[in-house]
Amino acid sequence: MKQFIKYIILISTLTIALQYLCDFMYTQVYLNSTPRNKLQYILNTKNKSFDIVFMGSSRVANHVDTKLFDSLSNKKTINLGVEGAGLNDNLLQLKLLIANNTISNVFLQIDSNYEYDSPSNIAISEAMPFLNYNSIINSHIKKYFSNSKKLEYLPFYRYAINDPKIGFRELCFSIANKKPRTNPSIGFTPKFGNTLPLNESSLPKTIKLKNIILDEITDICRKNKIQLTLYISPYCSKTKKMKYIEKLITKVPNLIDLSKGYDDKLFFNCGHLNNQGAKIFTTNLHNITKNKKVNH
Amino acid sequence: MLFNSLDFAIFLPIVFILYWFVANKNLKLQNFLIVAASYLFYGWWDWRFLSLILFSTLVDFMVGKKLRSEENQLKRKVLLWTSVLVNLGFLGFFKYYNFFLDNFITAFSFFGQDIQANSLNIILPVGISFYTFQTLSYTIDVYKRKLEPTKDFIAFSSFVSFFPQLVAGPIERATNLLPQFYTKRHFDYSKAVDGIYLIIWGLFKKIVIADSCAIYTNEIFSKYETMNSLSLLMGAIYFAFQIYGDFSGYSDIAIGISKLFGIHLKRNFAFPYFSRDIAEFWRRWHISLSTWFRDYLYIPLGGSKVSKLLSFRNILIIFLVSGFWHGANWTFIIWGILNALYFIPLFLTNKNRNNLDIVSKGKIFPSFYELISMTTTFFLVIMGWIFFRADSVSIAIHYIKKLFSFNFEYGLQYLSIERYTPELMILILCFVIVEWNSRENEHPFFGKWLNFKLILTLIGLIALGVYSNVNDFIYFQF
Repeated sequence: MKQFIKYIILISTLTIALQYLCDFMYTQVYLNSTPRNKLQYILNTKNKSFDIVFMGSSRVANHVDTKLFDSLSNKKTINLGVEGAGLNDNLLQLKLLIANNTISNVFLQIDSNYEYDSPSNIAISEAMPFLNYNSIINSHIKKYFSNSKKLEYLPFYRYAINDPKIGFRELCFSIANKKPRTNPSIGFTPKFGNTLPLNESSLPKTIKLKNIILDEITDICRKNKIQLTLYISPYCSKTKKMKYIEKLITKVPNLIDLSKGYDDKLFFNCGHLNNQGAKIFTTNLHNITKNKKVNH
Repeated sequence: MLFNSLDFAIFLPIVFILYWFVANKNLKLQNFLIVAASYLFYGWWDWRFLSLILFSTLVDFMVGKKLRSEENQLKRKVLLWTSVLVNLGFLGFFKYYNFFLDNFITAFSFFGQDIQANSLNIILPVGISFYTFQTLSYTIDVYKRKLEPTKDFIAFSSFVSFFPQLVAGPIERATNLLPQFYTKRHFDYSKAVDGIYLIIWGLFKKIVIADSCAIYTNEIFSKYETMNSLSLLMGAIYFAFQIYGDFSGYSDIAIGISKLFGIHLKRNFAFPYFSRDIAEFWRRWHISLSTWFRDYLYIPLGGSKVSKLLSFRNILIIFLVSGFWHGANWTFIIWGILNALYFIPLFLTNKNRNNLDIVSKGKIFPSFYELISMTTTFFLVIMGWIFFRADSVSIAIHYIKKLFSFNFEYGLQYLSIERYTPELMILILCFVIVEWNSRENEHPFFGKWLNFKLILTLIGLIALGVYSNVNDFIYFQF
């Protein structure tokens, strides 16, 4: 039995040592590689000035054609929309971006994401490699993650539970310096075609009393003299419970409603426009906001 | 409690320490601890269903005791059928009630008769198909006088509820497992280390292979209508490795844990995807279930020692029942029939026992003929898996039709989960090579590179495991 206990201790020690080794290796690769996602890009961006920053989920990443917007407005813009991101993730992006750069305007997508205060694991996972190297990320995760202690102290835990975004596959791509499908400095990720059947989608039935994260974003913008523009992106005609939009407009003052008026042919699926739809939407967004007071 | 959960990682060492340091003094204490730990393990999932296991245990223990003293053949038969009806009654109610009800309603409405009946919201108790078959084997063996009935209720309870194999097998025979609870277990270092190897390899199969494949399989099967032939073929192959990694991984862990407690369980998988024909596949896949059906259904029906026509019927029955055992859905029944159709030509031509040895034993590479045989068998198997995995028979047929439309436009398609299939193909290829090299053993940890293989597997478990989306073992639902 003594021999077996020694063996178990050896195996356990080896496993823990390998976890530390993998954690160290992954972290070093992500710290030193060329940015492959938007969060890495933000962390690497210093002393830049952006006229407009678009923030939100994939309904920003797929919808706002920044090159087109730049040409229409003659402004320097960036699309920081991330698939699966919620307001909490946008808050972290904003905190990181203003730490080393200057922003004049933020265009923030608001819709059913108003219902959620907590961070989404999908988007925030990109921040995990920098947890022990960036104080903003560290304090954000400590504030909003119930498992922050495990993330910080358990070796490799942060990489294991976020494997779709920062796992072995992404590590290999980073080591190989493989170009990402989306150029993070532009950020627009168009969807092509209308191949999927337009499944019905549904908005929430009820609305939250208030969203503390949106309040925090508003506060940060006010303190940093950033003009904050809130808008709703389009939905296809099959979307149910569109009354939610009316409720949202009463909750969020000055919310620009762009949810309707787009042909179903312009959608990739019910919540996402295709490339053609994105061009029309970007032009509309520019036209509607151009007369609004925009900081320079 | 899942084997790949934190709860179990705490539970197992505590039970191990109590077993070898506190309960090691006498046999009764060892068995009592096994029962207590097993009931805690099962009750962790849903304590209400512990009553089912307890009732089943009591019924079969009492029936066994009565069978010992009863000489009247008719009364013996009544006792046997009491056990069969109680066990299969539970199984029938929890697993098949709604299926039969829905099908009766459909059948009657087909003939213009509308029946009003409400289906019940029944929760299927985890592992019911496994422990009912295990306890049934005891009663049948006692009835046939192959086994002396036990007088020790705690030992019998340990046999019925032994936690490593309680919820997903291997389905143990009373003749193998029960006598092990009659003698005090002594710690054996080499067996315990072998158990650790099996646990590590089982976890690798589950967390790295099965759960990685599950991500792709789920995506491809849920969007099969938009997938081309190549993606659909890959979807079927991924499912083949998902179900193999999941179920054989579970069996390896169960056998490994049992070794830690000095208990030997029978092997449940023996590299089934290296089978050269479908008969060999069924000798290597879910061995404990196949042999259960062989011994308690096929042979009592006459097996192959009756006319060809009756043998044909017997084969059809065991494959049909085997399909139905997996779940109350026509997809499983079709899967069973399809496998019977694969098997019958081998049986009729007396080729079903051609490949009893290990393929290419002692060689590095298979011969060309063996390679072709294995590939053909694997292809037949994955066609069956499509029915097994699909939500309905019509979906499975549509899936296969699209697969054979030979549409290779776009090559391997990107999936909306932002993954591209080549990485998984490389992983599966490496796994197949490792399995091929280990096919004469139970696991890959042997030979002079043992420590290196162990370290690589641990690294694989850490770096390649899927921890973001913890999946239940597939066979829990059966």
